Formats: sequence, structure tokens, C-alpha cells
Amino acid sequence: MAFFLSLAALIPLDNPGHYIHWHFLDLSVANLIVVILMVCTFIAALLLPFPGRSRRKENR
Amino acid sequence: MSKKPFRPDVDAPEWKGGYGPYDIIKEGAIAVLVILVITMLLAVVFGSPDEKQITVKNWSNADPIDFATTALSELNGTSTSAQYGAPYNTASSGQAIGPLSLAKWAGVRIPINAASDFVISPLKSLPDKPVLRTDLKMWASASTSTRNGWLESYTKASSNMKFVNGQVVVNATSAGPVPTIIEDLTQMARSGALDQALVTGNGFYTTDFTKPLLFLADSGYMANLADAQHLTGDQWGMMNETGSYPGQAWLWLYTFWYQIPPFNSSGNGDALVWALMMVMSALLLFLPFIPGLRSIPRKLKLYRLVWREHYQDTK
Repeated sequence: MAFFLSLAALIPLDNPGHYIHWHFLDLSVANLIVVILMVCTFIAALLLPFPGRSRRKENR
Repeated sequence: MSKKPFRPDVDAPEWKGGYGPYDIIKEGAIAVLVILVITMLLAVVFGSPDEKQITVKNWSNADPIDFATTALSELNGTSTSAQYGAPYNTASSGQAIGPLSLAKWAGVRIPINAASDFVISPLKSLPDKPVLRTDLKMWASASTSTRNGWLESYTKASSNMKFVNGQVVVNATSAGPVPTIIEDLTQMARSGALDQALVTGNGFYTTDFTKPLLFLADSGYMANLADAQHLTGDQWGMMNETGSYPGQAWLWLYTFWYQIPPFNSSGNGDALVWALMMVMSALLLFLPFIPGLRSIPRKLKLYRLVWREHYQDTK
């Protein structure tokens, strides 16, 4: 149990958040990181080749 | 027999190529496993939000004047809860969209009488308080105009309210039992007894926190805490989380409308934003049936990028 407790929250995020203000936009840095990761995942899903491509070509 | 013309938005061309095996169960199982491992790793590395509970006891000890002022607003009927309307009371018509009185139609489903539920009834549960007992009887037997007179005198004097030696001090004259009521409720709150009194009486399990939450929501204390954590409506609070944790980023569109007119200045903002989002959700849901909109994916040709291998082979 003590082992797991020592593992808990290696990087605690309970400290006050940072926010980006631009006109009426008020976005937390944490949310911005998540949005960037989601956009990157979307672009990767579009551009990365499907797995098993070479195997399919061999089967033809 | 005439052949129907091919409709590119509705009809799918017949596949004349070969077929290959595809194990969707295997792929789904791998996806679930990967997500499980990532979730556990993130939980170990970052933990999760662990804010301390906000109670009436914490509030009244941290800011007794704000508590006493809020208690007075419950008693004189000027608090947000007291004037909210449905589902708590009939003090106002509530949220509406033009002639559609949505809140009024839903009706009073969680009856709350702010003065009685937040102030008078909890005080009745206090034992060994003869002066309070007498003052509560005086309050109960007084006419509405007499009560209003007491409340008016106390409310006027409360602008100079102080908290001295653990007691609420207001130099009010002709305020009847109001000073005792506010003082004793403040002491009850500071001891923690009010937290319990506000959740009891709802069955065996006391899990209904509607009353303490409404009482807290009427305070300046709660508003300041929410403001400091960027959780209020005008701070895009719907998509934020406490501390430095990421929040509900997918609610960006819902909370966006609250930042711009007419939604941010309308008394019916919640109903208007809800209706707009329902219309937009319906557009998304029925996209395949909406001419023009349903042609966008076909004309955008993004699918050619995803299936580029296939389109290269068919050249």
C-alpha cells in the first residue's frame, strides 16, 4: 500500500492553474495541451499508414 | 424498366473488388487495453483533483459576516434561491424562450422556502435555547407587515455589520427577533450543526445536499472561490477543472455561447444556449438527410487521404 501511495501523483496538479486570455477567450494551459494532443491525434489518424499494409500487398 | 439515377449523397456504389478478413473484436480489445494502460499511467503520474469539501461550517468560520449577510437575504427573501422560481418556488417565472415558459411548465419540483428551510426550521432543532425559542414564537405569530418592518430595520443597519469576539454585531433598533435569529444561526453554522440540519429529513440516507448547496451558492464566499479557480460562467468555467488539471475541453462550444451577446446578458441565457445547442445537435444528427450539408464530406474529399492506398491502386 505504501508503495502505491508513494507512486500517487508523481506530478501533482493541485497548484493554481495558468490561463491564456485573449479578448473574450479564457483558456487554461492544461486544456490547451489536451486540445493540441487531440488535433495531433486527428492529423496522425489521417496521415499514418494503416497497419498491415505490406502484408495486404503480399496477399494480392 | 427504367434504372434509377445514381444519387452520390445517398447511394453507395456496388463494391466489385475482393474481400479480406478483419477481426473487429481483436482490434476493440487491443484499443480498450491500450486506453486502460494509458489511464492508469496518467493516474499514477498526475493523480486527480482533490479539493477539500466546502461546508457551511468552513464558510461561516472563514467569513462570518458574509454568512450572516447571506442568512439575512434568505430571511428577507432577496437571495438568488429565494427569487429563483421553478423548480424551487414561484417567486419568478424562471427561464423562458420567447412565449415558451420552460421553467414554469416544469413546475416547482423541489419546493424550497428560503426563510423557513435555511433559517427558521434549522434553528427550531437547537436544544436549550430559551431566548431563541421565545424569539421564534414571536416570529411565527407576527404578521407579514410586522416581520417586514423588523427585517427592514435590520437590513438597513446590517451595512455596518461587524464580527466582534465571535459574535455578529449590528446596531439595529426595532428589529424584533431578527438579531437573535441571525446571531444564533451564525453560531449554529460555525459549530457545524447547520450542515447536518440542512441535509436531514430526507429519508434514512442523508445524501440530498440540495439545501446546503443552494445556501452556499447564494454566498459571496462560494462565488469568490469559484472565481479564483476560473469556474464561473463568464470565465468559460464549464470546461475548466480545479487546480492545473485539464477540464471538459469538449464543452467549448456550449460554454462559448455564454461569452457573447445576447446569451451573456439575457436573463434566459441558460434556456437560449440549451435551445441553440439542441438545434445544432439535431443538425448533426440528421446530417445525412440535409441536402447540401450532407455533400460536404464528398466534396471535401478528406476520405481520399485516409484511403489513399486504395485510390492509388485504383488509378
